[in-house]
Amino acid sequence: MVYIRTASQTFNCLVGLVRAFKTHVSKSMSARQKLETQLAENNIVKEELDLLNSSNIVYKLIGPVLVKQDVDEAKATVAKRLEYINGEIQRYESVLKEMEKKSEQHREVLTSLQQEFQKAQGLAAGKV
Amino acid sequence: MAEKGQTNVEHVGGVVRLREQHEKVVKDCESRMQHWRKVSGDYEALTDRLQTLPDQLSYDIMVPFGPLAFMPGKLVHTNEITVLLGDNWFAKCSAKQAQKIVDHRMKYVKNELDDLSKTMKNFEARVGFAKDLETISANKGDYVDIREEVGNDDAALTKGKQRIAHKPNSKPKLDVVWDLKEEDEEDEGESGDGGSRKGVMTEEELWARLDELEKLEELQDEQDRLSDNADMNGEDTSSSSSEEEKEAEAAPPVNGLSLKPSWSSVSDSKAPLSTDRKKDEDDDEEEEDNCLPTIFFSHTVEPKKVRINTGKNTMLKFSERKEQKEHSKRKKKNGHNNGHCHHELHKITTPADIYRLFVDVKNGEPIPRKSILKSRSRENSVCSDTSESSAADFEERRMIGRSFSHDEHSDTSDGITEEDSPTTVPLQLPSRYEAFSGTVIEKDPMPSAVPHLTISPPALPTILERKQEEVAPDVSPPQQLPKRVSKFKAARLQQK
Repeated sequence: MVYIRTASQTFNCLVGLVRAFKTHVSKSMSARQKLETQLAENNIVKEELDLLNSSNIVYKLIGPVLVKQDVDEAKATVAKRLEYINGEIQRYESVLKEMEKKSEQHREVLTSLQQEFQKAQGLAAGKV
Repeated sequence: MAEKGQTNVEHVGGVVRLREQHEKVVKDCESRMQHWRKVSGDYEALTDRLQTLPDQLSYDIMVPFGPLAFMPGKLVHTNEITVLLGDNWFAKCSAKQAQKIVDHRMKYVKNELDDLSKTMKNFEARVGFAKDLETISANKGDYVDIREEVGNDDAALTKGKQRIAHKPNSKPKLDVVWDLKEEDEEDEGESGDGGSRKGVMTEEELWARLDELEKLEELQDEQDRLSDNADMNGEDTSSSSSEEEKEAEAAPPVNGLSLKPSWSSVSDSKAPLSTDRKKDEDDDEEEEDNCLPTIFFSHTVEPKKVRINTGKNTMLKFSERKEQKEHSKRKKKNGHNNGHCHHELHKITTPADIYRLFVDVKNGEPIPRKSILKSRSRENSVCSDTSESSAADFEERRMIGRSFSHDEHSDTSDGITEEDSPTTVPLQLPSRYEAFSGTVIEKDPMPSAVPHLTISPPALPTILERKQEEVAPDVSPPQQLPKRVSKFKAARLQQK
């Protein structure tokens, strides 16, 4: 009986773990998608800045204020931002992969435990 | 069957879900495309505005003042445009520069639209397939499952060994060439008679190798052909041959589908090395009362032949004669029997025998049909050949008819001479053979036919002939029925 109880406990724990993993994964996924849109946008900005020459004045909207910026500076800033976004995407990807692996492992353990649990139940029923 | 039904239901359910998912994607694509189209429209309007704006220094406009009011005002600095570049970046540009930016964006939008349309097409196709699959599994559509059980080449007689696929890194052929080359180089180095002789030897070797390879290739081709026949059995209808040999294969009627003569040549004109005459009645159609109507095909190995309709639900295989000749040299020609037996009819050794086939009634006197090409049971006929072979045959027959019935002319048409000739033919045949000798020289019947071709064109059958045809076949079937033996079986018996 004790065995059965502990088995069910571990079973529940594992189930909880797997669920947690799933939520984590979904969060990372959404974050990654946001990053991707930002990436696309910044690409467009970069290209359009390249179309301009130095005679144009570039502003940056910070809050309610349009702040004047240097064209070259703006270009550099946008490039840096692009790099940053790419890096973030990669990071998120790796995190996602790890989480997937872990969740797989947990799932396997879960299934094996399930089987054992069922066997134990069967035995117990037989005994009784 | 219950299991099958269950899987069927599951299958259907799965397919339905699949289709639904695909449709979802399609809808999503559609909505996105609409969004992009709207954006594109906006940008076009913007382009127009940008072009007209710098025309004046200032415009009088009604300026929106809060959400509810307007106020008269002026639009100034018409060439200065502050453009939102994205991600909270702005740039002040002239109208033309703004125009450039707008063009650049339009390109991007177009790309997006194209991608989306591609995806949509793709998924629409998938939806279509899923729908078809659904109808198939639900047994509603016109689809029929055709299955063919493929044996393991036990029927095919292959002489020699099969070709082994060489591993990609081994190049035996090249080795031979290479050796030759090396030896050639050696020969050049030596430059002696011995050297040249050596070169010749290797050449011979090379030729031998080539011959060997050719043989193997032929075998392989034959195998392929045999397997091809299995595939083509369904598609093929009666076909006339290529120019060289009258070899074609006609497929049996399948499931009541009527066959139309087609002129596709099935395969190369290679004489079949293995004549497997194991053509049983084709196990044709079988409609299984399954989820699907199923047609079961069985591949039958048949040497390429032309089927000539003899009008009695029998097909004469043209090259059968050739094979029979090959196999039965010493047999007496049974042209003398007025082949009343069904199977004997197909024992054709001379042109006259063909002629004998095209007779309908044997009430003591065989009455031939007027025109062989015109037959009653056209619907059953596989071949409405107007190929050389049948034309040649026709010519042959006509010539025979003419040659044998000089005195007996009818007033109506040429065809009627044929009517009279068979009576003379059987009588004269034995004498003909006696006149020759006891031996039979086997010839390809075609050469004898060729000279005839030049002599006269086929005459059109007259109405009288047609009537004759109508009368004759009616009488013939009852006679045929009791003696019905599979002609292939008959042929086999004959061969024995």
